[in-house]
Amino acid sequence: MNDLVQLASLAPLLALAGAVINGLFGRNLKGNAPGIIASLAVAAGFVLSLIAFFGVRAGGAVRVNFGDFLVAGDFKIGLGFHFDQLSVLMMLIITGVGLLIHIYSIGYMHGDDGISRYFAQLNLFVAAMLVLVMADSFPLMFVGWEGVGVCSFLLIGFWYRDLANASAGRKAFIVNRVGDFGFLLAMFLTYKAFGTLDIQAVNAAAPSLAYGAAILTGIGLLYLLAAAGKSAQLPLHTWLPDAMAGPTPVSALIHAATMVTAGVYLIARTGGIFANAPGAAATVVWVAVLTALMAAIVAIGQTDIKKILAWSTISQVGFMVAAVGAGAYWAGIFHVLTHAFFKALLFLGAGSVIHALGGEQDVRKMGGLGRKMRVTGTTSLIATLAIAGVPFLSGYFSKDAILGALLTSMPLGNYGGQILFVLLMLTAGITAFYMFRWYYLVFAGEPRSKAEFERAHESPAVMTVPLSILAVGSVVIGYVGLPAFLAPNAIQEWLAPVMAHVDFEHLSTSAEWLLLIGSVVVAAAGLGLGYWVYALGSGALAKRLGNTPLASASRGAFGFDRLYRSLFTEPGEGLAEGVASLDRDVVDRGMTGLTGVVPLLGRLIVLLQSGYVRAYAFAMVLGVLALAVAAALIGVFA
Amino acid sequence: MISLYVVLLPVLIALLVLLGRSSAALVRGLAFLGGVGTFALSLFLAGSEGFQGAWLPRMGVNFSLDATGAGPVLVLVAALVMIPTLLVAATRVEQNAAGFVALLLLAQAGLNGIFLSKDLIVFYVFWEATLIPGLLLLGMFGGDKRRQAALKYLVYAVAGSMLMLVSILSLKALSGAASFHITELMIATPSLSAGVQTWLFVGMAIGMVVKLPLWPLHSWLIDLNEQNHPSGAADVLGSLYKVGAFGFFAWALPLLPAGAERVAPYLLALAAVTAVYGALAAISQQHLKRFLAYGSLSHMGIIGVGLFGLHLAGLSGAIYFLAAQMLSTGGLFLVAGMLYHRRRSFMLKDYGGLAKSAPAFAGVSLFLIFAYIGVPGLSNFPGEFMALLGAFQTSPWPAAFATLAVIAAGVYGVNLYQRLFQGPTTVPTSDLSALELYVLVPFIAGVLWLGISPAPQLRQIEQQAALVTIQLERAVDAADEVPTVTLAGLTGGEK
Amino acid sequence: MVQTEYYVALSAVLFALGGIGVLTRRSAIMLFLSIELMLNAANLAIVAYARQWSAAGAQHALDGQAAVFIVLAIAAAEVAVGLGILVAIFRNRVSTDVDELSEVRA
Repeated sequence: MNDLVQLASLAPLLALAGAVINGLFGRNLKGNAPGIIASLAVAAGFVLSLIAFFGVRAGGAVRVNFGDFLVAGDFKIGLGFHFDQLSVLMMLIITGVGLLIHIYSIGYMHGDDGISRYFAQLNLFVAAMLVLVMADSFPLMFVGWEGVGVCSFLLIGFWYRDLANASAGRKAFIVNRVGDFGFLLAMFLTYKAFGTLDIQAVNAAAPSLAYGAAILTGIGLLYLLAAAGKSAQLPLHTWLPDAMAGPTPVSALIHAATMVTAGVYLIARTGGIFANAPGAAATVVWVAVLTALMAAIVAIGQTDIKKILAWSTISQVGFMVAAVGAGAYWAGIFHVLTHAFFKALLFLGAGSVIHALGGEQDVRKMGGLGRKMRVTGTTSLIATLAIAGVPFLSGYFSKDAILGALLTSMPLGNYGGQILFVLLMLTAGITAFYMFRWYYLVFAGEPRSKAEFERAHESPAVMTVPLSILAVGSVVIGYVGLPAFLAPNAIQEWLAPVMAHVDFEHLSTSAEWLLLIGSVVVAAAGLGLGYWVYALGSGALAKRLGNTPLASASRGAFGFDRLYRSLFTEPGEGLAEGVASLDRDVVDRGMTGLTGVVPLLGRLIVLLQSGYVRAYAFAMVLGVLALAVAAALIGVFA
Repeated sequence: MISLYVVLLPVLIALLVLLGRSSAALVRGLAFLGGVGTFALSLFLAGSEGFQGAWLPRMGVNFSLDATGAGPVLVLVAALVMIPTLLVAATRVEQNAAGFVALLLLAQAGLNGIFLSKDLIVFYVFWEATLIPGLLLLGMFGGDKRRQAALKYLVYAVAGSMLMLVSILSLKALSGAASFHITELMIATPSLSAGVQTWLFVGMAIGMVVKLPLWPLHSWLIDLNEQNHPSGAADVLGSLYKVGAFGFFAWALPLLPAGAERVAPYLLALAAVTAVYGALAAISQQHLKRFLAYGSLSHMGIIGVGLFGLHLAGLSGAIYFLAAQMLSTGGLFLVAGMLYHRRRSFMLKDYGGLAKSAPAFAGVSLFLIFAYIGVPGLSNFPGEFMALLGAFQTSPWPAAFATLAVIAAGVYGVNLYQRLFQGPTTVPTSDLSALELYVLVPFIAGVLWLGISPAPQLRQIEQQAALVTIQLERAVDAADEVPTVTLAGLTGGEK
Repeated sequence: MVQTEYYVALSAVLFALGGIGVLTRRSAIMLFLSIELMLNAANLAIVAYARQWSAAGAQHALDGQAAVFIVLAIAAAEVAVGLGILVAIFRNRVSTDVDELSEVRA
C-alpha cells in the first residue's frame, strides 16, 4: 500500500506535463484538444489522490524522499512529499474540484484564441497547488506557494490586452509578495529556533519550547502575514476583488476553492506552533473574524455578480482562518471542503450567467434569469442556501463547527473568545442576507433589463454537468462532519492523528443544541431580512438603506484601496523615483566627482613636465641627493 | 589538467578567430566551437586533477589551478552562458564581429582563471587581466557615451585593485608564508594580529567591493550596461564579471578571518542597503538595460548579505546565487538585445502589448523574468533563499531588511513584463526567430537545472565554504589567547 | 704615490663644476661641455680606484680602465650625435638657448 501511496507523487508531475504539452505545442492543438489533455492530467491526479487517500486510511502517513534540495553543512532541506490525512484530503479537493472546473472551462473558454495558454496555466496551477500541500518541508511548500501566486498572476491577467486586467494580476502578485516576505522571514526564524525546516520535525519540536515563548509567537505572526497574503485576510485582502478580472472558472478554482485556502492549510499544517503560541493564535482569530465581518458588510454593497462572490470568499476564508486560529483545525479544513463545493458552484453559476449574457456582470441588469436557466438557477439556489447556513446543507455543519470552536476554545478564552463568537455569529447572519440579495437580484424577481433577459440561454451540458455534480456535493458533503454529540464526526476523526492538540471546553448537550438552533435562527433572520428588503419591498426600502453611511462604506469597500494607494503605492513610487534620482544625481555624480580627482592629479604631475632641460637636470640632482641622504640615514654606508 | 585547458582553449580559439577574421562564416563556426568546446571541458572539470607549474618560484608564485570547491560550478555555468552569447556576438555585431568574439573568449579565459586559481598572485593577475577585454568591448563597441563609461569603469577598477595589490603583497610578507598558495597562506595568516588582519582585509575589500559591486561603488556598472553594445552580449559578460563576491569567498574571508569578523558587519549593512536600494531604483527606470543593471545590483546586495552573514548556508547560497544570476541576468540582457534588434530602442515606453504578436518571445521572457526575481523552482531562488536564511541566523535585522527586496523584486518584475508585453498592442513584432530561440534555450535549460536540482552544485560549493567557517572558528579560538600573545610581543619589543 | 683620496676629491670638484655648469648655462654648447666635464670627473674617479685596486694586487685590476674606455667611446658617440642635433637646431632657430627649446612639454 505504501508504494501505491508513493505513486501519488506523480500527480503534480502529470499536471506539469499537461502544462508543458499545452504550453509548448498548444498552437498545433485543435478545438477542444487542449482542454481534454488538461482535464485528463487532472483526472489522473484525482485518481492518484484517491489511491493515496485509501492508502493513508489503511496504513497511515507516508513520506517519500527524492533526495536533497538544499544543502550546506547542517542545513539540509530534502525534496520530499508527505502524505497524511490532511494532505491527501487537500489533494482530493484540489484535483476533484479542479477536474470539474477544467471540464467546465472547456465550454466556458470555447473559441478563445488563447485556450491552450489558458489550460497550460491552469494545469500549472494544479501542479503548484499539489506541491504546496504535499511538501514535507517549508521551502518546498514555498515553491508551491509562489508557484500558485505566479499562476494566479498569469490567469488574472489572462486577457492581458486590457491593461486593467493585467494590472489586477500585478496587484495580486505584489500583495502576495508581501505575504511571501512574511513566509520567508517565518522560515528564517523557524530555522533559528528549531534548526530544521522539516514541517513534521518543527511541529514535533514546538512543544519543547516554552508555552507562549516569544520566538514561537514571532514565527506564528509571520506565518499569519504569509497566510493573510495568500488567503486575502486583513490587511492584505485588497487583491482578491480585483482578481475577478480573470476568467470566471479561474475565480472558481484559484480564488475560491483552492489557492485562497492555502493560508488555512498553512496554519493547520503548522498547528504545532500555533497551539503553543496562544498570543499568535488569538491574533489569527481576531484578524480572521474582523476580515469576515468587514468583507460580509462590503459584499452587501457590491453590484458586480463576481465581486459579491469575491467579498463573500474573503469573508468565508475568514471563517476558516478563525477556526484554525482557535485550534479547531478540523473545523477549518471542514469548511475548506464544504466551501470548495458551494463557492466553486456559485462562481461557476455566475460564469454560466455571464456566458449567457455575453459578458454582462452587473446584477442590476439581471433578474428573473432562473426561469430561463433552470439548471444554473437551481444549482445556484442550492449553493446560496448552503453558504447561508440553512440546516442540513453542507455550509450549516461546517459553520456551526467553527462557531462552536470559537466559543469553547480554551486558549482563546483570555483573548475575548465570546466577543469573537458574537461577531462571527453576526457575520453569519449578514452572509445569509447578502447571499439572498445576490440570488434574488440575479435569478428571481422581474427582469430589469429586457434586452439582457431576451439574450439569456442555458449553458451547454459541458458546463451544467459540473454544476450539478457540485450541487450534489454542496448538499451531501456536510455529512462527513456532523456534530460529534449527534453522530460520529468522520472528518474530525480522520484528521485527529495529524492535528496539534488544543484544549476545548466541553459543552453540555443542551448547549450544543442551543448553538445549532441559534445558527439556524441567525441564518433564517438573514434570509428573512433579505426577503423583506428585496422581494417584498418595492425597492424603496433598499434605496433608503443604501443612503446610510454604512452602505456607502460598504460600496467603497471601507476605502482600503484608496488608503493603500496614498499610504503605500504613491509613497512607494515616490521612494523608487527618489532612489533612482538620488542614484543619478547624488551618488553617481558624487562618485564621478571623486573619480574626477584622478585627472586633476594627472594635471598636477604634468606641471613638472615643463620642457626646460635645466629644470629636469635640477630635479635629477635633487633626486640623487635625496637618495644619498636616504641611504645615509638607513645606514648603507656604515 | 582540464583546469588548465579551460583557460587555454578560449585563448587559442580567440587567436584563431582573429586570424580568420575575414570570413564571417569561419568566425561564427569558431565562436560556436569555442563556446561548446569550453562547455564540454567544463563538464568534466569538477574533481579533475589540478595543474601546478613554476612561475616566479623565488617569490613564492606558482601557476596553480585547481578544480575543487566552487570554482568548477562557476566555470560550468559561465561556459553554458557563453555559448549563446558568443553566437549572438558572431551574428548580431555588424562591424568587426571577430574582434568582439575574440574579446569575449579572452574574457572567458580570464574568468576561468579567476575561478580556478589557487595562487593569490595568479588570481590577481587574472582578476586584472579580465578587466581589459571588458574595457575594450565597451570602448570599441559601446554607445555614444562609451568613453565616459569606460573611464569610470577603469578608474573604479584600478583604484580598487591598487589597494588590493598592496594587501596581497603585505599578506605574504607579514605572515611569513612560504608561498602565495592558498593552503600555505591559510596556515600562516591567522597568526597575524586582529588589527593587522583588519587593515589587510579592508585593503582587499575595497578592490572586491567595487567588483561585487556594493552601494555606493556601483555606478560604473549601470553606465557600463547602458553603454555596451546593443546586442547585449557584452552585458552578459558584465554579469559574469561581477567577481567581487567570489574574491571575498575564496580569498579575503578565509585568509583574514579575524579581519572579516570585524569588518563584516559594516559590509553586511552596505549589502543590505544595496539589495533594497537596487530593487527600488529598478522600479522607476525607463531604460531597459539600466533597469536590468539595477535589478542585478539588488541581487549582488543579497549575495553580499549572504557572504557577510558569515554563516555556512549563507556563504554557500551566495556563491550559488552568483552562478545562478549569470543565467537570468545574462538571458534578459540578450532578450533586451533582441528587442532592440526589432525596434532600435531600449526605452520601455516604446514597447507594450508584444505578447499578442510574439507569444513565444513573451513566454520565454516571462520565464526569465520570474527566474530573475527569484521565483522558487527557478535558478535564483535556492541561492537567494540560503543567502538570506544564513545571514538571518547570525544577523537577523540586516537580513530581514534585505528580504524587503523580495517585495520590490515582485514589483519591478511584473512591471517590466507588463510594460513590454501586456496592454494594447503597439506595433506588431516578429516572434522569436529560430536562431533567437536556440540562443535562449540554454538559458531556459540552465534556469531549470539550477532551480530544480541545486544539491550537487551546493555540495561542491560547500567544500570551499567550509574553509571559511573553519578559519572563522580558528580566529575565534585564537582571539581567546590574544591577551597573552600581545603581552609577550610587547615585552619582547622593550628588550 | 699620491693617495687615492686626492684623485677622488679632484673628481668630486670637477663633477660639481660640471653639475653647476649644467644647471646654470643656457647655451647648448656649454651644457655639452659641462656634461663632458662630469663624465670625465667620473672617469677620473674610476681610474683612481682602479689604480688603488691594482696596487693591492686584486684579480680584476684592469676592469676600471676598461670601463673608462667604454665611457670615452660613448662620450665620443654622444658628441657626434649631439652636435649633429645641435647643428640642425641652430639651422632652424639661429639659437642654441635651451630655455627656448621648451616646446616638448605636456
